[in-house]
Amino acid sequence: MGQKNSSAERIEQLRDCLARVANERDKAAFSTLFDHYAPLLRAYSLVREPGADLIADELAQEVMIRVWLKAGSYNSQLANINTWIFTLARNCRIDYLRRNGRFVSDIDPTEIFNDIEDESPGPFQLTHQSRLEENIRTGLKKLPREQSDILVKVYLEGKSHQQTSEELKLPLGTVKSRVRLAVKKLKVLVER
Amino acid sequence: MDTINNHPTDELLVSYSAASLPLSQALCISVHLENCGECSQKFQRLNQVGSELMLQLKPSPPSPGLKDQLLDQLDSITENAETDRHSPGNTSVPRCLHQFIKTGYEDISWNRLSRDIQSYELCRDQNNAKVELLRIRPGGTSNTHTHMGDEYTVILEGSFSDEAGLYHKGDFLLRDASDQHTPVATLDKYCICLAVTEAPIQLTGFFGRLLNPFIRRSYA
Repeated sequence: MGQKNSSAERIEQLRDCLARVANERDKAAFSTLFDHYAPLLRAYSLVREPGADLIADELAQEVMIRVWLKAGSYNSQLANINTWIFTLARNCRIDYLRRNGRFVSDIDPTEIFNDIEDESPGPFQLTHQSRLEENIRTGLKKLPREQSDILVKVYLEGKSHQQTSEELKLPLGTVKSRVRLAVKKLKVLVER
Repeated sequence: MDTINNHPTDELLVSYSAASLPLSQALCISVHLENCGECSQKFQRLNQVGSELMLQLKPSPPSPGLKDQLLDQLDSITENAETDRHSPGNTSVPRCLHQFIKTGYEDISWNRLSRDIQSYELCRDQNNAKVELLRIRPGGTSNTHTHMGDEYTVILEGSFSDEAGLYHKGDFLLRDASDQHTPVATLDKYCICLAVTEAPIQLTGFFGRLLNPFIRRSYA
Protein backbone atom coordinates (compact mmCIF):
# COMPACT_ATOMS: atom_id res chain seq x y z
CA MET A 1 0.00 0.00 0.00
CA GLY A 2 2.84 2.32 0.91
CA GLN A 3 4.45 1.70 -2.44
CA LYS A 4 1.25 2.42 -4.26
CA ASN A 5 0.94 5.77 -2.53
CA SER A 6 4.48 6.72 -3.32
CA SER A 7 3.98 5.89 -6.98
CA ALA A 8 0.83 8.03 -7.03
CA GLU A 9 2.83 10.82 -5.42
CA ARG A 10 5.54 10.41 -8.02
CA ILE A 11 2.99 10.77 -10.83
CA GLU A 12 1.63 13.86 -9.11
CA GLN A 13 5.11 15.31 -8.92
CA LEU A 14 5.82 14.59 -12.60
CA ARG A 15 2.53 16.16 -13.64
CA ASP A 16 3.47 19.20 -11.61
CA CYS A 17 6.82 19.40 -13.40
CA LEU A 18 5.10 19.18 -16.76
CA ALA A 19 2.77 22.03 -15.78
CA ARG A 20 5.77 24.14 -14.78
CA VAL A 21 7.44 23.40 -18.11
CA ALA A 22 4.25 24.45 -19.88
CA ASN A 23 3.56 27.58 -17.88
CA GLU A 24 6.94 28.85 -16.78
CA ARG A 25 9.35 27.20 -19.23
CA ASP A 26 11.01 25.83 -16.10
CA LYS A 27 14.23 24.04 -17.00
CA ALA A 28 14.73 22.51 -13.56
CA ALA A 29 11.31 20.88 -13.87
CA PHE A 30 12.24 19.72 -17.35
CA SER A 31 15.42 18.24 -15.95
CA THR A 32 13.38 16.20 -13.44
CA LEU A 33 11.20 14.89 -16.26
CA PHE A 34 14.30 14.01 -18.24
CA ASP A 35 15.81 12.08 -15.34
CA HIS A 36 12.62 10.09 -14.94
CA TYR A 37 11.68 9.39 -18.55
CA ALA A 38 14.89 9.35 -20.58
CA PRO A 39 16.02 5.96 -19.19
CA LEU A 40 12.58 4.47 -19.94
CA LEU A 41 12.57 5.92 -23.43
CA ARG A 42 16.00 4.47 -24.07
CA ALA A 43 14.76 1.10 -22.85
CA TYR A 44 11.80 1.38 -25.24
CA SER A 45 14.18 1.97 -28.13
CA LEU A 46 16.65 -0.73 -27.09
CA VAL A 47 14.01 -3.42 -26.89
CA ARG A 48 13.38 -2.93 -30.59
CA GLU A 49 16.98 -2.23 -31.56
CA PRO A 50 19.13 -4.18 -29.11
CA GLY A 51 22.59 -2.69 -28.67
CA ALA A 52 21.79 0.47 -30.65
CA ASP A 53 22.83 2.99 -28.01
CA LEU A 54 23.02 6.00 -30.27
CA ILE A 55 19.56 5.41 -31.65
CA ALA A 56 18.29 5.04 -28.10
CA ASP A 57 19.81 8.38 -27.11
CA GLU A 58 18.38 9.97 -30.21
CA LEU A 59 14.87 8.72 -29.50
CA ALA A 60 15.04 9.84 -25.87
CA GLN A 61 16.24 13.26 -26.97
CA GLU A 62 13.62 13.57 -29.69
CA VAL A 63 10.78 12.67 -27.32
CA MET A 64 12.03 15.05 -24.64
CA ILE A 65 12.16 17.86 -27.21
CA ARG A 66 8.52 17.17 -27.98
CA VAL A 67 7.76 17.22 -24.26
CA TRP A 68 9.34 20.68 -24.11
CA LEU A 69 7.38 21.90 -27.14
CA LYS A 70 4.05 20.27 -26.42
CA ALA A 71 3.85 20.45 -22.63
CA GLY A 72 1.10 23.05 -22.98
CA SER A 73 -1.16 20.71 -24.89
CA TYR A 74 -1.06 17.94 -22.29
CA ASN A 75 -4.41 17.60 -20.56
CA SER A 76 -4.28 15.57 -17.37
CA GLN A 77 -8.05 15.09 -17.54
CA LEU A 78 -7.67 13.05 -20.69
CA ALA A 79 -4.60 10.96 -20.23
CA ASN A 80 -2.20 9.72 -17.70
CA ILE A 81 1.18 11.43 -18.15
CA ASN A 82 2.85 8.05 -18.76
CA THR A 83 0.40 7.30 -21.55
CA TRP A 84 1.05 10.71 -23.07
CA ILE A 85 4.81 10.04 -23.05
CA PHE A 86 4.24 6.60 -24.57
CA THR A 87 2.27 8.06 -27.47
CA LEU A 88 5.02 10.62 -28.11
CA ALA A 89 7.62 7.83 -28.03
CA ARG A 90 5.60 5.68 -30.42
CA ASN A 91 5.19 8.57 -32.85
CA CYS A 92 8.91 9.40 -32.69
CA ARG A 93 9.72 5.77 -33.39
CA ILE A 94 7.59 5.79 -36.55
CA ASP A 95 9.17 9.06 -37.69
CA TYR A 96 12.59 7.62 -37.12
CA LEU A 97 11.87 4.41 -39.03
CA ARG A 98 10.45 6.40 -41.90
CA ARG A 99 13.32 8.91 -42.02
CA ASN A 100 15.77 6.07 -42.19
CA GLY A 101 14.01 4.24 -44.97
CA ARG A 102 12.92 1.36 -42.78
CA PHE A 103 9.27 2.08 -43.51
CA VAL A 104 9.22 2.54 -47.25
CA SER A 105 6.02 4.43 -47.63
CA ASP A 106 4.59 7.54 -49.24
CA ILE A 107 2.30 8.01 -46.28
CA ASP A 108 3.01 10.75 -43.77
CA PRO A 109 2.28 9.25 -40.35
CA THR A 110 1.91 12.61 -38.62
CA GLU A 111 -1.83 12.76 -39.05
CA ILE A 112 -2.48 9.06 -38.62
CA PHE A 113 -1.75 8.63 -34.96
CA ASN A 114 -3.81 11.48 -33.65
CA ASP A 115 -2.34 13.13 -30.64
CA ILE A 116 -4.20 11.98 -27.64
CA GLU A 117 -4.80 15.52 -26.41
CA ASP A 118 -6.90 16.26 -29.48
CA GLU A 119 -9.53 13.78 -28.51
CA SER A 120 -12.44 14.77 -26.36
CA PRO A 121 -13.25 12.48 -23.47
CA GLY A 122 -16.55 10.75 -23.04
CA PRO A 123 -18.10 11.01 -19.57
CA PHE A 124 -17.50 7.30 -19.19
CA GLN A 125 -13.83 7.77 -19.69
CA LEU A 126 -13.43 10.55 -17.15
CA THR A 127 -15.20 8.80 -14.31
CA HIS A 128 -13.60 5.45 -14.90
CA GLN A 129 -10.15 6.57 -15.87
CA SER A 130 -8.31 5.68 -12.69
CA ARG A 131 -10.11 2.38 -12.27
CA LEU A 132 -9.17 1.42 -15.81
CA GLU A 133 -5.55 2.28 -15.20
CA GLU A 134 -5.58 0.10 -12.13
CA ASN A 135 -7.23 -2.76 -14.07
CA ILE A 136 -4.57 -2.59 -16.73
CA ARG A 137 -1.70 -2.42 -14.26
CA THR A 138 -2.80 -5.33 -12.10
CA GLY A 139 -4.11 -7.24 -15.12
CA LEU A 140 -0.73 -7.17 -16.85
CA LYS A 141 0.89 -8.72 -13.80
CA LYS A 142 -1.60 -11.57 -13.81
CA LEU A 143 -1.48 -12.39 -17.52
CA PRO A 144 -0.11 -15.81 -18.41
CA ARG A 145 3.42 -15.51 -19.76
CA GLU A 146 2.38 -16.73 -23.22
CA GLN A 147 0.04 -13.76 -23.55
CA SER A 148 2.23 -11.07 -22.06
CA ASP A 149 5.19 -12.16 -24.19
CA ILE A 150 3.13 -11.52 -27.28
CA LEU A 151 2.04 -8.09 -26.08
CA VAL A 152 5.70 -7.22 -25.51
CA LYS A 153 6.57 -8.29 -29.04
CA VAL A 154 3.79 -6.25 -30.56
CA TYR A 155 3.93 -3.12 -28.39
CA LEU A 156 7.61 -2.82 -27.57
CA GLU A 157 9.48 -4.68 -30.27
CA GLY A 158 7.07 -3.34 -32.90
CA LYS A 159 6.48 -6.75 -34.45
CA SER A 160 3.55 -7.53 -36.71
CA HIS A 161 1.38 -10.55 -35.93
CA GLN A 162 3.07 -12.35 -38.81
CA GLN A 163 6.58 -11.64 -37.49
CA THR A 164 5.51 -12.65 -34.00
CA SER A 165 4.13 -15.92 -35.30
CA GLU A 166 7.38 -16.65 -37.15
CA GLU A 167 9.58 -15.82 -34.18
CA LEU A 168 7.58 -17.79 -31.66
CA LYS A 169 6.85 -20.59 -34.15
CA LEU A 170 3.14 -20.31 -33.51
CA PRO A 171 0.31 -20.32 -36.02
CA LEU A 172 -0.86 -16.81 -36.96
CA GLY A 173 -4.33 -17.57 -35.61
CA THR A 174 -2.87 -18.45 -32.22
CA VAL A 175 -1.00 -15.15 -32.04
CA LYS A 176 -4.16 -13.22 -32.84
CA SER A 177 -6.28 -15.11 -30.35
CA ARG A 178 -3.71 -14.61 -27.59
CA VAL A 179 -3.67 -10.87 -28.24
CA ARG A 180 -7.46 -10.89 -28.14
CA LEU A 181 -7.56 -12.88 -24.91
CA ALA A 182 -4.97 -10.64 -23.30
CA VAL A 183 -6.84 -7.39 -23.96
CA LYS A 184 -10.03 -9.03 -22.83
CA LYS A 185 -8.44 -9.90 -19.50
CA LEU A 186 -7.13 -6.37 -19.12
CA LYS A 187 -10.75 -5.19 -19.32
CA VAL A 188 -9.70 -2.60 -21.83
CA LEU A 189 -12.74 -3.01 -23.96
CA VAL A 190 -16.01 -1.19 -23.79
CA GLU A 191 -18.87 -3.43 -22.77
CA ARG A 192 -21.38 -3.54 -25.57
CA MET B 1 -20.98 8.96 -35.26
CA ASP B 2 -23.99 6.64 -35.10
CA THR B 3 -24.85 3.29 -36.65
CA ILE B 4 -21.34 2.03 -37.27
CA ASN B 5 -21.56 -1.73 -37.22
CA ASN B 6 -18.31 -2.82 -38.73
CA HIS B 7 -15.17 -2.28 -36.68
CA PRO B 8 -11.55 -3.36 -36.82
CA THR B 9 -10.85 -6.41 -34.67
CA ASP B 10 -9.34 -5.90 -31.23
CA GLU B 11 -6.06 -7.42 -32.29
CA LEU B 12 -5.85 -5.03 -35.24
CA LEU B 13 -6.46 -2.08 -32.90
CA VAL B 14 -3.69 -3.39 -30.66
CA SER B 15 -1.25 -3.36 -33.58
CA TYR B 16 -2.44 0.11 -34.53
CA SER B 17 -1.87 1.40 -31.01
CA ALA B 18 1.56 -0.22 -31.03
CA ALA B 19 2.30 1.23 -34.49
CA SER B 20 3.31 -2.23 -35.67
CA LEU B 21 1.07 -2.07 -38.75
CA PRO B 22 1.95 -0.94 -42.26
CA LEU B 23 0.99 2.73 -42.57
CA SER B 24 -1.58 1.98 -45.28
CA GLN B 25 -3.55 -0.21 -42.88
CA ALA B 26 -3.07 2.34 -40.13
CA LEU B 27 -4.54 4.96 -42.46
CA CYS B 28 -7.78 2.95 -42.81
CA ILE B 29 -8.05 2.48 -39.08
CA SER B 30 -7.40 6.15 -38.49
CA VAL B 31 -10.32 7.07 -40.79
CA HIS B 32 -12.51 4.65 -38.87
CA LEU B 33 -11.48 6.14 -35.51
CA GLU B 34 -12.39 9.62 -36.70
CA ASN B 35 -15.90 8.27 -37.19
CA CYS B 36 -16.20 5.85 -34.29
CA GLY B 37 -16.19 7.04 -30.69
CA GLU B 38 -16.24 3.52 -29.33
CA CYS B 39 -13.06 2.44 -31.10
CA SER B 40 -11.39 5.77 -30.23
CA GLN B 41 -11.94 4.97 -26.57
CA LYS B 42 -10.53 1.51 -27.03
CA PHE B 43 -7.54 3.02 -28.80
CA GLN B 44 -6.82 5.34 -25.89
CA ARG B 45 -6.99 2.46 -23.45
CA LEU B 46 -4.74 0.36 -25.62
CA ASN B 47 -2.27 3.24 -25.49
CA GLN B 48 -2.38 2.85 -21.71
CA VAL B 49 -1.51 -0.81 -22.10
CA GLY B 50 1.51 0.22 -24.19
CA SER B 51 2.59 2.74 -21.59
CA GLU B 52 2.31 0.22 -18.76
CA LEU B 53 4.43 -2.22 -20.75
CA MET B 54 7.02 0.50 -21.32
CA LEU B 55 7.12 1.23 -17.58
CA GLN B 56 7.96 -2.40 -16.89
CA LEU B 57 11.17 -2.21 -18.90
CA LYS B 58 14.49 -1.99 -17.14
CA PRO B 59 15.53 1.68 -17.36
CA SER B 60 18.72 2.34 -19.30
CA PRO B 61 20.72 5.43 -18.23
CA PRO B 62 21.39 7.93 -21.05
CA SER B 63 24.90 8.70 -22.23
CA PRO B 64 26.69 11.20 -20.01
CA GLY B 65 26.18 14.73 -21.23
CA LEU B 66 22.97 14.01 -23.14
CA LYS B 67 20.84 15.97 -20.72
CA ASP B 68 23.16 18.99 -20.54
CA GLN B 69 23.42 19.07 -24.28
CA LEU B 70 19.64 19.07 -24.54
CA LEU B 71 19.18 21.70 -21.83
CA ASP B 72 21.57 23.99 -23.73
CA GLN B 73 19.52 23.60 -26.89
CA LEU B 74 16.10 24.20 -25.39
CA ASP B 75 15.99 27.95 -25.99
CA SER B 76 16.75 27.60 -29.65
CA ILE B 77 14.17 24.88 -30.33
CA THR B 78 11.09 26.18 -32.03
CA GLU B 79 7.98 24.42 -33.08
CA ASN B 80 8.31 24.69 -36.84
CA ALA B 81 7.17 21.24 -37.84
CA GLU B 82 3.93 21.63 -35.97
CA THR B 83 2.78 24.71 -37.85
CA ASP B 84 3.11 22.79 -41.08
CA ARG B 85 -0.10 20.88 -40.58
CA HIS B 86 -2.09 20.00 -43.62
CA SER B 87 -4.81 22.57 -43.80
CA PRO B 88 -8.20 20.96 -43.37
CA GLY B 89 -10.38 23.65 -44.95
CA ASN B 90 -14.07 22.93 -44.56
CA THR B 91 -14.32 19.57 -46.19
CA SER B 92 -15.66 16.27 -44.99
CA VAL B 93 -12.37 14.60 -45.89
CA PRO B 94 -10.97 12.81 -42.82
CA ARG B 95 -8.02 14.56 -41.22
CA CYS B 96 -5.55 11.78 -41.95
CA LEU B 97 -6.33 12.02 -45.69
CA HIS B 98 -5.62 15.75 -45.98
CA GLN B 99 -2.08 14.86 -46.93
CA PHE B 100 -3.48 13.52 -50.21
CA ILE B 101 -6.73 15.40 -50.75
CA LYS B 102 -6.42 19.12 -50.29
CA THR B 103 -9.94 20.28 -51.02
CA GLY B 104 -12.76 17.81 -51.63
CA TYR B 105 -13.59 14.63 -53.47
CA GLU B 106 -15.15 16.54 -56.37
CA ASP B 107 -11.83 18.14 -57.35
CA ILE B 108 -10.10 14.81 -57.81
CA SER B 109 -9.19 13.72 -61.33
CA TRP B 110 -10.81 10.30 -61.18
CA ASN B 111 -9.84 7.46 -63.49
CA ARG B 112 -12.62 5.51 -65.05
CA LEU B 113 -12.36 1.79 -64.33
CA SER B 114 -15.76 0.74 -65.58
CA ARG B 115 -19.17 2.19 -66.27
CA ASP B 116 -19.87 2.28 -62.56
CA ILE B 117 -16.54 2.76 -60.90
CA GLN B 118 -13.82 5.38 -60.80
CA SER B 119 -10.60 5.22 -58.90
CA TYR B 120 -7.85 7.55 -57.75
CA GLU B 121 -4.58 6.16 -56.51
CA LEU B 122 -3.24 8.00 -53.48
CA CYS B 123 0.06 6.19 -53.07
CA ARG B 124 1.82 2.90 -52.60
CA ASP B 125 2.88 1.55 -49.26
CA GLN B 126 5.56 -0.94 -48.30
CA ASN B 127 5.12 -4.30 -50.07
CA ASN B 128 3.60 -2.32 -52.88
CA ALA B 129 0.17 -2.23 -51.25
CA LYS B 130 -2.06 0.05 -53.29
CA VAL B 131 -3.85 2.87 -51.48
CA GLU B 132 -6.70 4.32 -53.50
CA LEU B 133 -10.08 5.94 -53.42
CA LEU B 134 -12.95 4.21 -55.22
CA ARG B 135 -16.10 5.98 -56.29
CA ILE B 136 -19.13 3.91 -57.23
CA ARG B 137 -22.06 5.66 -58.88
CA PRO B 138 -25.49 5.37 -57.26
CA GLY B 139 -26.78 1.86 -57.80
CA GLY B 140 -23.56 0.93 -59.51
CA THR B 141 -21.90 -2.40 -59.01
CA SER B 142 -18.51 -3.94 -59.33
CA ASN B 143 -17.98 -7.33 -60.85
CA THR B 144 -17.93 -10.23 -58.49
CA HIS B 145 -14.36 -10.49 -57.43
CA THR B 146 -11.95 -12.12 -55.08
CA HIS B 147 -8.75 -10.59 -53.83
CA MET B 148 -5.24 -11.70 -54.44
CA GLY B 149 -4.27 -10.31 -51.04
CA ASP B 150 -6.07 -8.77 -48.08
CA GLU B 151 -8.23 -5.77 -48.83
CA TYR B 152 -8.97 -3.07 -46.24
CA THR B 153 -11.91 -0.80 -46.96
CA VAL B 154 -13.41 2.09 -45.05
CA ILE B 155 -16.41 4.05 -46.29
CA LEU B 156 -15.92 7.80 -46.62
CA GLU B 157 -19.25 8.81 -48.17
CA GLY B 158 -22.49 7.07 -49.06
CA SER B 159 -23.12 3.39 -48.56
CA PHE B 160 -22.96 0.07 -50.32
CA SER B 161 -24.12 -3.47 -49.78
CA ASP B 162 -22.90 -6.92 -50.68
CA GLU B 163 -23.85 -10.50 -49.94
CA ALA B 164 -22.94 -10.05 -46.29
CA GLY B 165 -24.67 -6.78 -45.43
CA LEU B 166 -25.13 -3.03 -45.77
CA TYR B 167 -22.29 -0.65 -44.96
CA HIS B 168 -22.31 3.04 -44.14
CA LYS B 169 -19.90 5.91 -43.63
CA GLY B 170 -17.16 4.94 -41.19
CA ASP B 171 -17.67 1.20 -41.53
CA PHE B 172 -14.41 -0.75 -41.68
CA LEU B 173 -14.10 -3.97 -43.64
CA LEU B 174 -11.28 -6.44 -43.96
CA ARG B 175 -11.62 -9.01 -46.69
CA ASP B 176 -9.08 -11.72 -47.32
CA ALA B 177 -8.25 -13.62 -50.44
CA SER B 178 -10.88 -16.26 -49.79
CA ASP B 179 -13.79 -13.80 -49.75
CA GLN B 180 -15.79 -13.39 -52.90
CA HIS B 181 -18.22 -10.54 -53.03
CA THR B 182 -20.23 -8.21 -55.24
CA PRO B 183 -20.50 -4.69 -53.82
CA VAL B 184 -23.42 -2.53 -54.97
CA ALA B 185 -23.72 1.15 -54.10
CA THR B 186 -27.06 2.27 -52.74
CA LEU B 187 -29.28 4.33 -55.01
CA ASP B 188 -29.30 7.62 -53.16
CA LYS B 189 -25.77 8.85 -53.79
CA TYR B 190 -22.21 8.15 -54.83
CA CYS B 191 -20.30 5.84 -52.55
CA ILE B 192 -16.67 6.76 -51.90
CA CYS B 193 -14.31 4.36 -50.16
CA LEU B 194 -10.71 4.26 -49.14
CA ALA B 195 -9.31 0.89 -50.18
CA VAL B 196 -5.96 -0.67 -49.46
CA THR B 197 -5.19 -3.73 -51.50
CA GLU B 198 -2.18 -5.76 -50.61
CA ALA B 199 -0.14 -6.86 -53.55
CA PRO B 200 -0.71 -10.43 -54.63
CA ILE B 201 1.93 -12.37 -52.79
CA GLN B 202 2.45 -14.99 -55.48
CA LEU B 203 2.93 -12.44 -58.23
CA THR B 204 5.85 -10.30 -57.17
CA GLY B 205 8.42 -11.41 -59.74
CA PHE B 206 8.99 -9.92 -63.17
CA PHE B 207 6.04 -11.65 -64.77
CA GLY B 208 3.94 -10.88 -61.75
CA ARG B 209 4.51 -7.19 -62.25
CA LEU B 210 3.53 -7.55 -65.87
CA LEU B 211 0.34 -9.31 -64.88
CA ASN B 212 -0.60 -7.05 -61.99
CA PRO B 213 -2.25 -4.34 -64.11
CA PHE B 214 -4.59 -6.96 -65.55
CA ILE B 215 -5.46 -8.25 -62.14
CA ARG B 216 -6.11 -4.72 -60.93
CA ARG B 217 -8.34 -4.08 -63.90
CA SER B 218 -10.42 -7.14 -63.20
CA TYR B 219 -10.61 -6.25 -59.52
CA ALA B 220 -12.75 -3.20 -60.09
